[in-house]
Amino acid sequence: MRALHTAATGMMAQELNVQVISNNIANMRTTGYKRQRAEFQDLLYEHVRRIGTQTSAQGNILPVGVDLGGGVKTVGTPRIMTQGTLTRTGSELDIAIRGEGFFKILMPDGTFTYTRDGSFQMDAQGRIVTLHGNVLSPAITIPQNATGLTINPQGQVMVTPQGSTTPTVLGQITLTRFINKAGLQPIGDNLFVETPASGPPQDGNPGTDGYGDLLQSNLEQANVEVVSEISDLIAAQRAYEMNAKVIAAADQMLSATSNMMR
Amino acid sequence: MAIDTLIALSWQTALRRELDVVSNNIANLNTAGYKTDNSAFSEYVMPVAQAGQFAQPDRRPSFVQDRTTWHDFSQGPFQQTGSPLDVAIDGEGFFVVQTARGERYTRNGAFQLNNNGELVTSAGDRVLGESGPIVLQANDRDIVVTPDGTIKVREGTSLNSDSTRGKLRLVTFQNPQVLRKDGTSMFAAPDGVQPDPADKFRVVQGAVEKSNVRAVVEMARMVQITRHYADVAHMIQQQAELRRNALQQLADVPA
Repeated sequence: MRALHTAATGMMAQELNVQVISNNIANMRTTGYKRQRAEFQDLLYEHVRRIGTQTSAQGNILPVGVDLGGGVKTVGTPRIMTQGTLTRTGSELDIAIRGEGFFKILMPDGTFTYTRDGSFQMDAQGRIVTLHGNVLSPAITIPQNATGLTINPQGQVMVTPQGSTTPTVLGQITLTRFINKAGLQPIGDNLFVETPASGPPQDGNPGTDGYGDLLQSNLEQANVEVVSEISDLIAAQRAYEMNAKVIAAADQMLSATSNMMR
Repeated sequence: MAIDTLIALSWQTALRRELDVVSNNIANLNTAGYKTDNSAFSEYVMPVAQAGQFAQPDRRPSFVQDRTTWHDFSQGPFQQTGSPLDVAIDGEGFFVVQTARGERYTRNGAFQLNNNGELVTSAGDRVLGESGPIVLQANDRDIVVTPDGTIKVREGTSLNSDSTRGKLRLVTFQNPQVLRKDGTSMFAAPDGVQPDPADKFRVVQGAVEKSNVRAVVEMARMVQITRHYADVAHMIQQQAELRRNALQQLADVPA
């Protein structure tokens, strides 16, 4: 009986849906997290009576056919890359991006990863690093005893050296854009890596040519909206239950069939 | 086999087919742009086995036959997603998608960009605009889709001028029932059926049209199917019993 398998695909899809929603809710307080969404499409159809076949020698054709569907499949879990809310933290190395772009992070193995999480720290050499100690690229070293660390919206990092009153520019934070940012692959730790689907990285200065501005002492919150996640969760759970009911109904019909013979 | 059993069997087969349709609807309860399928049955009157010379002529046996599954093209509810590349059609029409099998039509407007900046479906097929695929540039931002389907962006650092990147092609069919479901939320038109440009629609950005399956209706249909099926099974059982009794009594000839 086909209905059994069709309902099973429905249950599997909703299970995955709940998994995606629970990950969104678990990360609702993760800095720079972008929510995901499970997307579904219907499966192939069996055309039992095909539209347009001739029904008589006079050339009458079937206006409509009998198409039986095989259920549902998950086609992807794309990320919704919308801007998250910015909250003020007060820490001078917290940087939020308002607009397009990612921070570029140099990994220990020499490759680059990309993140929207701007909660940076300073390491023993005075370099700006992520919470995992990976260096922000291009590397910017803040000298000892420097005061008044300022990062302007265009990404210039400035300090006032000891014994001076005029700020000097230490370096420039760049941002990286991808033509299809939803195509980046998440690797955990709020980091993404480039894929063939994302397109090549394009570096640029903040505040120019479509790149976003930087906001010092701010962090970008996750873009998860709890209310919509919870309502999605309810819908997924109900859909799961209904698919289970279909299996029960198909089972009942099969048992009616087998009980016909005594 | 007796004809009554065959008639009951035709009804049971039809009910099984209908459950297949219902289960597919329920499996696609959360599929964006999915349209409900319904089935219609017709009576098949057997052309032979008729004796008309009596005062009360024989009634010809009639079977159940599934004639068609038809699509319910009513509007599905909109879910706000906030993603600028999600578009929903309020009104009539379909988006046109270029697939390896040819042009396909869909109501699922959860679009993405690919690595060339082209607007694609989640499955990676290009969405067609009025003049071919819609391509966004690397330094585009603030994508806006107007109600008529025009895609506008801010280019680079420009603050007040919009650049147009294309206009979504929306089409409609004189008789949308001829469309065949092709899987992956898409419809295919049979040979010789050409789409017309749609005009009674409004494109809504930041929303996705959910499936128009009404869960309560499908549940009710499902209960009805299982009950009917059990009834028919019961009927077949009773006929078998009737036949057995008849045989036993007729064969019980006194010696």
